Amino acid sequence: MITAGLDLGTQSVKAVVVENGKVVSRSKAFSGFDPEKAAEKTLEEALKDANLSMSDVGHITATGSGMDMATNSNSTVSMMGADAKAGVQLFPNARTIIDVGAEEARAVKCDEKGIMMDFVVNERCAAGAGAFIEAMARALEVKLEDMGSLSLKAERASSINASCVIFGESDVVSLIHKQESKPEIARAIFEAMADRVSSMVHRLGVNPDVVLVGGVAKDIGFVTSLKRKLGVDILIPEYPEYIGAFGAALVAAKRLKKVQEK
Amino acid sequence: MKKQSKEKKYMPEISQKEVQELRKTITTTSQQIIAENIRKMKKTDPNRPEAMKYFDEIADFTKREKEIRAAKQEGKKVIGYMCLFAPIELILAADAIPVRVNSGWYDASKLGDRVVPVEVCPMVRSTIGAKMIALSPYLELSDTLISALTCDGMTKLGEVLSDFKPVWAMTIPRVKDTAQSMRLWSEEIKVIRGQIEELTGNKIRGKQLKSAIELTQKATKAFRRLQELRKGPPVIMGRDAMLVNQTYMWDDIERWTEKTEALCDELEERISQKNWACPPDTPRVMLTGTPMIWPDNWKVPTLVEEANPQGILVADELCSGERLLYDPVGVDEWSMSDMLNAIAERYLMASTCPCFTSEDGNEDRINWLLNKIKEWNIQGVIYYVIRGCMLYAMEYTRVKKVMDSKGVPVYYLDTEYTREDVGQMKTRIEAFLEMLSARIDL
Repeated sequence: MITAGLDLGTQSVKAVVVENGKVVSRSKAFSGFDPEKAAEKTLEEALKDANLSMSDVGHITATGSGMDMATNSNSTVSMMGADAKAGVQLFPNARTIIDVGAEEARAVKCDEKGIMMDFVVNERCAAGAGAFIEAMARALEVKLEDMGSLSLKAERASSINASCVIFGESDVVSLIHKQESKPEIARAIFEAMADRVSSMVHRLGVNPDVVLVGGVAKDIGFVTSLKRKLGVDILIPEYPEYIGAFGAALVAAKRLKKVQEK
Repeated sequence: MKKQSKEKKYMPEISQKEVQELRKTITTTSQQIIAENIRKMKKTDPNRPEAMKYFDEIADFTKREKEIRAAKQEGKKVIGYMCLFAPIELILAADAIPVRVNSGWYDASKLGDRVVPVEVCPMVRSTIGAKMIALSPYLELSDTLISALTCDGMTKLGEVLSDFKPVWAMTIPRVKDTAQSMRLWSEEIKVIRGQIEELTGNKIRGKQLKSAIELTQKATKAFRRLQELRKGPPVIMGRDAMLVNQTYMWDDIERWTEKTEALCDELEERISQKNWACPPDTPRVMLTGTPMIWPDNWKVPTLVEEANPQGILVADELCSGERLLYDPVGVDEWSMSDMLNAIAERYLMASTCPCFTSEDGNEDRINWLLNKIKEWNIQGVIYYVIRGCMLYAMEYTRVKKVMDSKGVPVYYLDTEYTREDVGQMKTRIEAFLEMLSARIDL
């Protein structure tokens, strides 16, 4: 049984093709101005990689903020539902899945079957999400991918207020004026983000195992700060940015099976 | 009655030309929104009860506005109120017309921003904005306003509106169940009675008060009948029931009662035919939190009932909803003092507003929620908070703890008086409903 999951995120579109619970291929592209087309192309690419064609796919499930735009999908699932499904598939003991993407952070509490029991979403503010790191990297004139390793060089963190990107940026500028070092400012940025994300997770309860997914899970600076704030170990899958699409593909398999059983 | 001073305490200068233009624009938007909301309600339930036609008509403010205007010309007085502490029965007994004047217009809140900061509750800002451009027919028609000093926003709202009209403030004790609270509140009721008599020139006597109480008792009975019918499989969509509920705030009460009873007759017929408004396994949701006022602030109920997977609203704990009329005035002896005591008790004790506290916290609200969950078979609770409502925001922690202990999912949904966040809210509401469906599926 072959199914596919599409994650139409705010910045990029991800496609994952799954056969019997295992990933056979994955592909990613920028959402751009036409997420519908991007989703179509991404899926085609993933299928090509696996030497499959559209007709081999039994069911396509879309997720992500743009899921309604995926006209080639058969059904949709919420981002939280997809995270829970994929998180528990990869880490059977996972009970809390934290997903930090470009524009949104969320946390899901789930049971052993990967069914979501509760969730929280950050309160419409980019300071707890990837876009914040991007904006701050610009202010520091540092490459985005270097931010994490830079922050690890700091012995202490400066203090900034991450209530929002705009205020955060002006805080960073005043730290630059105070001639604080770049590593310390970089660490301050991750600490502030981790503060926001961890207080959000605390509202849900920190139930181990804790899994971190989403594009920001690849940033060692953020991961280090979040571990420090939560005080628990954090599991990270190999391809954290594909978790939404993977979860959607698993949901697709479940739905296909249900239809076949009928 | 004290004469109003000419100098405005709060209101900025605003040109008549601007007032006219804004009023025209927002009134047009409002009419479109009323039509759109009703169209969407018909789309959700194409087989909507026939009896809803009447409430659709009342939902468009113009019919009732005309009636009240005509009554005023015959010398009747109109008394507007904000919170649910204004004793409707005393207003009716003095042959005056009660209308609730809280604003549900999103666009008007932007005008209110000129007077108070954006951190202030959007319903308060919107009511101020509505008054600035004479948007709300009922606020305009009110001869006076009753302002219950509940939350901070409401306390100052009355003060702001006193730039335009006489405002009678009623002090609400923050702890309900003490003797001194009841003494204070009973005094407030007595004072307001005198003010109503003075305004209308009508003495409130036992006979009139008895028939006023009987009138609202009948309305409550009709409303409870409707609520009972919502305990079983969905025979009416939540938005339709909410609209019936809300029109009580400005409709003629006797006629409203009659029409609600007629709706219930129709619904009973449908129940006997198993003619449901949506599939019986649709997740059953309760709303609690800050008020949702017609016509603009209808986005959450619309999102829930239009969602994929769909949800159905079967009960609420909102001061714009069930709290309006769930509890009757309970009278033992029809003596004047007993009737006044019964009124005082009804308005204070039955309220589950988070402005109250006690040794056990706001226990009445918790009990209301638990009772609804059990009796109405609620599968999930949406805790709705408009930004700036400190009391509801703070009480969430308590409610969440109780809900967790009962295994009832509850979701905190915070928003503003705006249409711009509908996309994000849709994502959250659908995730919540999906979670409820997955639980039912198991």
